[in-house]
Amino acid sequence: MDIFSNLWLGASTAFLPMNLLYGFVGCLLGTAIGVLPGLGPTATIAMLLPITFGLPPESALIMLAGIFYGAQYGGSTTAILINLPGESSSVVTAIDGYQMARNGRAGAALATAALGSFFAGTVATILLAMAAPPLAAVALNFGPAEYFSLMVLGLVASVALASGSLLKAMAMIVFGLMLGTVGTDVESGTPRYVFDIPELYDGLNFVAVSMGIFGICEILRNLESEQERSVGVKRVTGLMLTMSDFKRIIAPVLRGTALGSFLGVLPGGGAMLASFASYAMEKRISPNRAEFGKGAIEGVAAPESANNAGAQTSFIPMLTLGIPGNPVMALMVGAMILQGITPGPNVISDEPALFWGMIVSMWSGNLMLVILNLPLIGLWVRMLTVPYHLLFPAIIGFCCIGAYSINNSVFDVFVMAGFSVIGFALSKMRFEPAPLLLGFILGPMLEENLRRAMLISQGDPSIFLRSPLSLSLLIFAVVVLALVLSPSISRKREEAFTE
Amino acid sequence: MHFKRFTTFAAVVAAICATSMQSSRADDYPSRTVTVVVPFAAGGNTDTFGRLVAEQLDKRLGQRFIVENKPGAGGNVGLGDLARSKPDGYTIGMGTVSSNAINQTLYKTLPYDKEKGFAPISLIATLPNVLVVNPDKIKATSVEELIELLKKEPGKHTYASSGVGTSIHLAGELLATKAGIKMTHIPYKGSSQAILDVVAGHVDMMFDNIPTAAQQVKAGKVRALAVTSLDKAALLPEVPTMASIIPGFEATSWHGIFAPPGTPPEIVEKLSKEVQAILAEPAMKAKLEGMGATPVGNTSTEFKAFIATETAKWAEVIKAANVPPQ
Repeated sequence: MDIFSNLWLGASTAFLPMNLLYGFVGCLLGTAIGVLPGLGPTATIAMLLPITFGLPPESALIMLAGIFYGAQYGGSTTAILINLPGESSSVVTAIDGYQMARNGRAGAALATAALGSFFAGTVATILLAMAAPPLAAVALNFGPAEYFSLMVLGLVASVALASGSLLKAMAMIVFGLMLGTVGTDVESGTPRYVFDIPELYDGLNFVAVSMGIFGICEILRNLESEQERSVGVKRVTGLMLTMSDFKRIIAPVLRGTALGSFLGVLPGGGAMLASFASYAMEKRISPNRAEFGKGAIEGVAAPESANNAGAQTSFIPMLTLGIPGNPVMALMVGAMILQGITPGPNVISDEPALFWGMIVSMWSGNLMLVILNLPLIGLWVRMLTVPYHLLFPAIIGFCCIGAYSINNSVFDVFVMAGFSVIGFALSKMRFEPAPLLLGFILGPMLEENLRRAMLISQGDPSIFLRSPLSLSLLIFAVVVLALVLSPSISRKREEAFTE
Repeated sequence: MHFKRFTTFAAVVAAICATSMQSSRADDYPSRTVTVVVPFAAGGNTDTFGRLVAEQLDKRLGQRFIVENKPGAGGNVGLGDLARSKPDGYTIGMGTVSSNAINQTLYKTLPYDKEKGFAPISLIATLPNVLVVNPDKIKATSVEELIELLKKEPGKHTYASSGVGTSIHLAGELLATKAGIKMTHIPYKGSSQAILDVVAGHVDMMFDNIPTAAQQVKAGKVRALAVTSLDKAALLPEVPTMASIIPGFEATSWHGIFAPPGTPPEIVEKLSKEVQAILAEPAMKAKLEGMGATPVGNTSTEFKAFIATETAKWAEVIKAANVPPQ
């Protein structure tokens, strides 16, 4: 019964007309800015933070949370339409989403993203309301050793991201891991591959690398081939989902939601893994796995639901422990401190109206996004009919603004430009960019946690096997590795026969 | 043709220079928007202090003071930008114990002239760190007991930090040198992940910034043994100071405001007076104290002397602890 009175308290805060309005304004601003390439949730919230100074704490946080979901939504839109993932979580959406757009099914892809996200958001919010403190306790069990084993599992699963050659995918992962070593080494403080450039001390920026290697590179490829200049959108068939589409996405959405909800709770980069992991999983178990990489609707549904579920549950460490799990949450904590509330483990009991109000507003925010975005799909899809010679300079312009806005520095624009050339060269040699980016994300976390665990254990590697959680993750990784390797061996045999 | 274009260009440049030279006169300063460079990410302590002060400068001086975050390389990227901008008072910036007193020793090269440094405007606030331990891992309830334990089991216990060379890390090194003990340093990227692992018990202890740590202490997740400021902290009044146990122990994180080197002294002084007045306002004081900070506000000369002392102090700790230069 407690839960109902709490939710009632939350609803009475979140459904105040003023808070509904701020939530809506947040979602709207977030979507609008998130649609611009490169402007992800962190940049958006940082920019709009001053607007919230004059608001009461509940309204300010509801609005910031709205910006967060809105920007995340917007990021998937550009990933699908123009192959431009604005943040790590939409990288995998771009793989099949963009292919769907090229097949004239951009509307269906966007609708899948919107509905999948809404469903996942609803489930994750309920989970948050019912089980936030126990879930936070689970998160605390993840120490350096457990994170290392989780990252190993992620790395093994990432091989599945490739639709072509296994060897090439592995080469890309290794290249990504190498790029991840650029910057100051966390353990010793020694700068690596920085060439005395201060901007490199914190490593290459993910958004700049991914915009270059996906978005700008895609423009180069389109400009190269004459007939593809119309973005290759054949014919825009049906904006909405068909009955058979619905049937195909139900199971991936459910699996994505479950996986995303769990990984999102882990503050050490779990949410980043959510979309990758769910895509990799679908690609293994979906009955339509042959279509993956060519525009499979499951390849949009699963990562988008996982991503949104993870985005919701990533509030758990902040709301229950007062410790932010990612840069967006750190910004929210900063906003709370400015409002005179220092988040901590007691925030649920000290500020119940704020806590429950935020939880209810998460759901209302997700609802607003669906209402806001479904009608917009038609508009977005029409954007693709804009002649390419007008569209691509605009995309490049926005990309430059986006890259600049990450750290207010021109350096990231150069990084983006450099990686578009690298991406172009790689695509000529038929290397795929997604495994590279996953290696780039996982590499630093893998290394940091490995060395941290070894420091804590005083150099004893059995720390990875002593913890039951870490041990089971490692065993799971071995099983996945075996699964990944076996069909490719048989496939190679088939290829040998056909040749 | 080319010559004509050149003369037009030169005339435009001259006109721009003339107007900007005019506008850098102190009596009508500020006559346009002022940029406040924050060399750290939005949402952190330095950003918060910078925004609070910028908002008030805005009100008092009638011009926009816009905060611009330029994070990177422990503040070096933003400060490099600040050092290169025109010393006319229209670009000022925030700096901290890390970026303006520790990095001087920690980094082999800085993107600006170490000797010239900056024109200090005023110290804004100091923020004490607090030594917290995981209550299940460390049974000690006082610093004395902790030192005794660490002497008995040297190198066996771990302390977390927000990164190599941060004020949080060096506070630990200062304790190790002053008390003659050995602990294993576990660096993280930022303090949130670090305090999380102390709360979870993966790491034994940590010196953490007070606002977040105080909440964990109040909830009983960690035990506070001492604060690193010379005076007791208002947020944790029952916790003793480190200096009462190890005389002279002080390791606070401080945040101040600077102008590029060569800024006219009249402008620096004008800004310094305004910042001091802002920090004396009761509402501002209350806000900063609520965050666990001690508002300061001092003259350029006082701030300069303070930075020199701090730089020398941390240089000694870095050398004693053998932290490799970056």
